[in-house]
Amino acid sequence: MNPTPAPRRLNPFWLLGKSGTYAVLIVGLVATLLPFVYITISSLKTEAELRKTPPDFFPQQPTLKHYTTILTNVDISIERNVMNSVVVSFARVAITLFTSSFAGYILAKYHFKGKNLAFGVILIQIMIPFQVVMIPNYLIVVKLGLIDSLWALIIPTMVDAFGIFMMKQFIESLPAELMDAARMDGASEFGIYSRIVLPQMGPPLASLGIFTFMATWNDYLWPLIVLTTPENRTIPLLLVWYQTQHSSNQGLVLAASMLTLLPIFIVYIFAQRWIVDQASQSAFK
Amino acid sequence: MTAATHYLQKLKAPPQGKLMAGQRRFAYASLAPVLLYMGFFSLLPILWAFVLGFFSYTPIREGSWFLGLGGQNPFVGIDNYIELFFGDGKPAEVFRLALLNTFMFAALVLPLNLAITLPLAVLLESIGEKLKTLFRAIYFLPTISSAVALTIIWAYMYAPGWGLLSLLFKAVGLVPPKSWLQDPAAVYYGVPLAMICVVVAYVWQDFGYNLVIFVAALQSIPKSLREAARVDGANAFQEFWLVVVPLLRRTILLTSVLTVISSLQVFVIFQLLTRGGPRNQTQTMLLSIYENAFRFANNLGLSAAMSMILFVIILTLTVIQFRALRTEWEY
Repeated sequence: MNPTPAPRRLNPFWLLGKSGTYAVLIVGLVATLLPFVYITISSLKTEAELRKTPPDFFPQQPTLKHYTTILTNVDISIERNVMNSVVVSFARVAITLFTSSFAGYILAKYHFKGKNLAFGVILIQIMIPFQVVMIPNYLIVVKLGLIDSLWALIIPTMVDAFGIFMMKQFIESLPAELMDAARMDGASEFGIYSRIVLPQMGPPLASLGIFTFMATWNDYLWPLIVLTTPENRTIPLLLVWYQTQHSSNQGLVLAASMLTLLPIFIVYIFAQRWIVDQASQSAFK
Repeated sequence: MTAATHYLQKLKAPPQGKLMAGQRRFAYASLAPVLLYMGFFSLLPILWAFVLGFFSYTPIREGSWFLGLGGQNPFVGIDNYIELFFGDGKPAEVFRLALLNTFMFAALVLPLNLAITLPLAVLLESIGEKLKTLFRAIYFLPTISSAVALTIIWAYMYAPGWGLLSLLFKAVGLVPPKSWLQDPAAVYYGVPLAMICVVVAYVWQDFGYNLVIFVAALQSIPKSLREAARVDGANAFQEFWLVVVPLLRRTILLTSVLTVISSLQVFVIFQLLTRGGPRNQTQTMLLSIYENAFRFANNLGLSAAMSMILFVIILTLTVIQFRALRTEWEY
């Protein structure tokens, strides 16, 4: 009897199973990537080629014309809209990271009456779907005079219940001795948060930051409701508007879609491990 | 406890109590704004939506001081709900269709999603670490992408005649439908073709989540259990059905509930790919709520009632999910 895996490798059924495994995985890979690849290739075609029936898969004369047209077109406020998305995304990430880590710290490390109640409120907020509060939130935003301004995207979302929950889970695992020692040395309560707790929170803050960024960058329904004037649009709204404007010019629309996807892809290339690991834990929270 | 330690504790008590009181004050002062904020932007809206469901309300009409309700925005009791379930107004009719469509969508998405993600996760688990990470990262790509951009991509894929899907159909010798998204007569086994198209595009966009969750869950299963099945002569399919699936039942249940909850809330793809058409065949609850409240600016009370119905459905599922979470499973 030989328990080493060597004999198993020579087993034809095992080999068959192994190649079958890869075959299925690669079919899945192709199915996942095909739409992206096809659109990238198509965005390089000339308008005439795009209209050809049946079309060729590969462009005969690849051109970057659509991309340059979009980026040099001055009569639409692309720059302004991109800046809107950038500003709102970064503001929301910064604010969410602060409020989540700070409130998470209080809930994790302090004992006070009503703590369970506070935690209950946070859990309730996690359970409330956005769609249910969207109408009253719209009315609130109107009452506050924030309609059609970027503040309408920032102010109602400054406190993120899920972020607080996530940060609380992490901070609970930090040793209390460190904080007590800092307290003995005369650190203020806020100083303990900013100088002892915060520096240890790199990984969870990074995950929360990336997720908040992606959610804001891709958000569509809420901006659609509260933003009306063209200058105030964020990128997804711009893209939809662009599609309706250029329904006869597919190449432009495809190139615009690729440009929209690009920033998130770049973030993803660098943060892929974090993002996937975080997402795979989300069912066990 | 001796008298001495008792005395010592008493000595220590006042400063510690003072310290604790200071910490408590800090905690209250810090948390109060956060909770007030949540109260204002989460709890108040949910109560408001609930109350709004009992009124006939339009923001431009004059109401009382209290949330603009009353006055020209009268209290109508459960009339909005009666209208939605039994009335013959256009919005109510569309909403009832939307309710069925939303359930149909979820009922199609869930099995298709599981049929793809479970086997794929098992296969992915069995390969080397480096390749696994690469495959996982690529499968996850659609989930992080802008839903708007992806929907535009799919609209292009579904273009009649020269779209990629029509080409693929022709390439394998099938006759592609004349129109993928706009033919109300194209219905297969009671499911409109446009709905099938949305389901396919959505599952493509979303399967990465469940896949990475299943891969993580599989990694936590003791290897010995699957090896034992192998030693006992189980083939790959038996191992999958009799060992892996039962061991993952908690994860499968949880992800199923999460998948259903999120498919009840899909918006972008319905709004941009089909706009609920053809003939409301892909009209969903969320689309109805949005269109009534913000596009047609109808009675917001009716929209609020719709959103409360959606809320009750989602809440029921959430309760099931928490129940399942509480149940302890033993391997």
